[in-house]
Amino acid sequence: MPLLTVKQVTSGYGDMEVLHDVSIEINPQEIVTIIGPNGAGKSTLMKTIFGLLKPKVGQILFTDHEISSLSPDRIVRLGMAYVPQVENVFPSLTVRENLEMGAFIRSDDFSDRVNEMFDLFPVLGRRGRQQVGKMSGGERQMVAMARALMLNPQLILLDEPSAALAPNLAVVIFEQIVAINETGVAILIVEQNAKQSLSLSDRGYVLASGRNRFTDTGESLLANEEIGQLYLGG
Amino acid sequence: MEQFVGIMNYIVFFAITAGTYGILALGLNIQWGNTGLFNIGIAGFYALGAYTSALICGLPPSAWEGRTFGGFQLPFIVGLLGAAAVSGIVAIIVGAPTLRLRTDYLAIATIGIAETIRLVLNNESWLTNGVWGFQQIPSPLYKTIHGASSAYLNGHPNLPMWIHDLIARSYDWFYLALVLVVLFILYLIMERLVRSPWGRVIRAIREDEDATAMLGKHTFSYKMQALVLGAMIMGIGGSMYAHYARFISPVSFKPLYGTFIVWVMLILGGSGNNKGAILGSFAVWGIWAGTDFLTRYLPFSATQSASLRIILIAVLLEVILLWRPQGLLPPKKHLFTLK
Amino acid sequence: MTTLANIPQLLVYGIISGSIISLGGIGVSLTYSILGFSNFAHGDFMALGAYIALGLFTLFTGLGIPNVPFGPLSFGFGFALAFVLAIALTAIAVILIDRLLFRRLRRSGPIILMMSSIGVSLGLRNILQFFWSPQPHYYSQAIQPAVAIGILNVRIKPDEMFIIAIAIALVVLVHAFMRYTKMGKAMRAMADNATLAQVTGINTDRVIIWTWVIGAGLAATAGILAGIENKFITPQLGWQMLLSIFAGVVLGGIGNPYGAILGGMVIGISEEVSTAFISTGYKPAVAFVIMIIMLLVKPTGLLGRKD
Repeated sequence: MPLLTVKQVTSGYGDMEVLHDVSIEINPQEIVTIIGPNGAGKSTLMKTIFGLLKPKVGQILFTDHEISSLSPDRIVRLGMAYVPQVENVFPSLTVRENLEMGAFIRSDDFSDRVNEMFDLFPVLGRRGRQQVGKMSGGERQMVAMARALMLNPQLILLDEPSAALAPNLAVVIFEQIVAINETGVAILIVEQNAKQSLSLSDRGYVLASGRNRFTDTGESLLANEEIGQLYLGG
Repeated sequence: MEQFVGIMNYIVFFAITAGTYGILALGLNIQWGNTGLFNIGIAGFYALGAYTSALICGLPPSAWEGRTFGGFQLPFIVGLLGAAAVSGIVAIIVGAPTLRLRTDYLAIATIGIAETIRLVLNNESWLTNGVWGFQQIPSPLYKTIHGASSAYLNGHPNLPMWIHDLIARSYDWFYLALVLVVLFILYLIMERLVRSPWGRVIRAIREDEDATAMLGKHTFSYKMQALVLGAMIMGIGGSMYAHYARFISPVSFKPLYGTFIVWVMLILGGSGNNKGAILGSFAVWGIWAGTDFLTRYLPFSATQSASLRIILIAVLLEVILLWRPQGLLPPKKHLFTLK
Repeated sequence: MTTLANIPQLLVYGIISGSIISLGGIGVSLTYSILGFSNFAHGDFMALGAYIALGLFTLFTGLGIPNVPFGPLSFGFGFALAFVLAIALTAIAVILIDRLLFRRLRRSGPIILMMSSIGVSLGLRNILQFFWSPQPHYYSQAIQPAVAIGILNVRIKPDEMFIIAIAIALVVLVHAFMRYTKMGKAMRAMADNATLAQVTGINTDRVIIWTWVIGAGLAATAGILAGIENKFITPQLGWQMLLSIFAGVVLGGIGNPYGAILGGMVIGISEEVSTAFISTGYKPAVAFVIMIIMLLVKPTGLLGRKD
């Protein structure tokens, strides 16, 4: 049974519809990538899944719960987390404080979880007291991912995790995404330039003009010439 | 019939005041309604206009006044233009440091300038006669019109009392016409401006300043023009008030209340709509006058009644913001977009 | 040279009034950074606190609760109790205003909120005026002698030392709260990025309530302290200080509570010292001029971060 099911969702901003009749599924412990050109509705889909936009039509099910009418803070409690593409950290807080905010709803002691995050991202462990606003783009992306993992989510949504990073840093981030996945977390990634992301994904969806175009395993999508030309830059 | 005369006199007085507020609301509409500039120092520009006009047109200082300056006895039109000019110059001083920043800064600075103007009016007796203010400010064409109506009444001693009383007040009718003419001319100018390419730019700034700036428009200077223009209109409103009331002092321009009621007028009428600004002025002034009658029947002291009326206006504002933020006459949707 | 000789004394007055302005400024700064709007009703929250304290104090005196002065101070247990309860009641009243108005208007954006706060300001002030009249009311009619502290002929009243001590204590407390408690950190997080705070699972509504508790509590304290310093209160008390408070907030860097403390102190001192040279009536204008100069030189303020 899928962990997340998006069923024929139509959504957008105000009167403007961006997504039309989009359906996707994510199974437990899977990595799924959504690719598509700029303006295809990838970020809109993420925001709709996470309750920042309300779908006009359709259903979103997460672990048996209908979540399309829930607010983001309720969805967080059900075990989903979201890392926006930009402004995804609290810059005036320290690394440790950012992680504490990720565990805001936990009233028990979560220092073990903080240490697990520092094991997963050793760079952060050495700089727990540093203000995040003064860190590099790659480090901020790690803080953002660690913050999202604080509540042991079953699924995390990553919006263009490598977008603003230099290629060598992007490799590091993708290695960490695989490491996160190996701890049992399902991951939904949105990427514009997505060869790297597809290569480590179990499955992928191609979105264009707000509609489903293709879906297949990551490998097959990479091997598909038409998709390669249209969406992966040849 | 005497009751009729009383009602007519009240209506004239009501309409002159509401018309003057209409001028202020038009000024605010160009600033807030069209450009999105948050001016909460309207009372300051209003007072500035009134005092400037009084200094230009009024009598020279007399022996018992503390004032030593002003009173040039120039014609009304000079006072009106002078009022506009001085208010405009002060608007430049307020706008220069704040218009590049978030609109909150302008709001704070306009409170500051209104307060500073109030302090100057109270403290600089050589210029303003302090708390005593100006008296005997000349009304335009008063001698001519009042003289003519007096002469007519002397020549026709057997007129019915109510006609006699109406003619005796002919100057008020004249002043009402003057206010309405000024209001109408300003309305026409504003309508022309809002529909011009300049108007499209300032509305674009209101909608999305960053996008407008990216289109190559120098938003700061457009905002400054709108601020200054609005302030000049408020100065004209002050001048119109001074020459009708003939007496002004700092208490005529209570800092927040003078400003606040104009805001409620514009928001009720419909921000961004010039007709709405004028409609709102008459409607809110009608409500304000109505609450005066209402509170007379309540067992409260005069100061309590005054407070109660202001509370009612504050409640009215919140009700509009909650349930009809676009006002009675929302701005028209302009289909054309900025090139 | 009498004016120059007066300056140390004026500095002390400036620190006293700066303490009160700073306490008001912290609240303005928090509402600006966390709720995203300039709250023009903040001064009237101060007046509300001062009048609630007056009402409770009158009630307690009627009930026979003793008010024997604490040592050299002008008030005792009865007033202190009224003081503390007034802080709590002001916070509750402000939260009710938030539920009734501000919360419903939050989706309409910061400018609508700012406008609504102007309505709240005028409404509150006139409610106070309706019940208590525009005339001054007194906390205490007793005259308290000022004592020399032995430096440059400076004299200060025990009540004034109390005002400064309370201000320092509260600033330290607020600092500790913001730095070390989970809610304080969440407030800073929400000031950084409110949408991310929501996405992270922070209960933003609770953060907002805490923001009002702290802002309104400090406002009530500032209002009551102003009443102790001036010996009387009027419904205009807060509105009259609002320009100085905003000038302090802008001077320190809008949205930064530490800036509000620094800025409030600078404004308070400048206003008092200016009276050695110009008419006392121009105090608020001094604040205004300093603010305008700051905006021309560095709009982000002394401690401001990029906007």
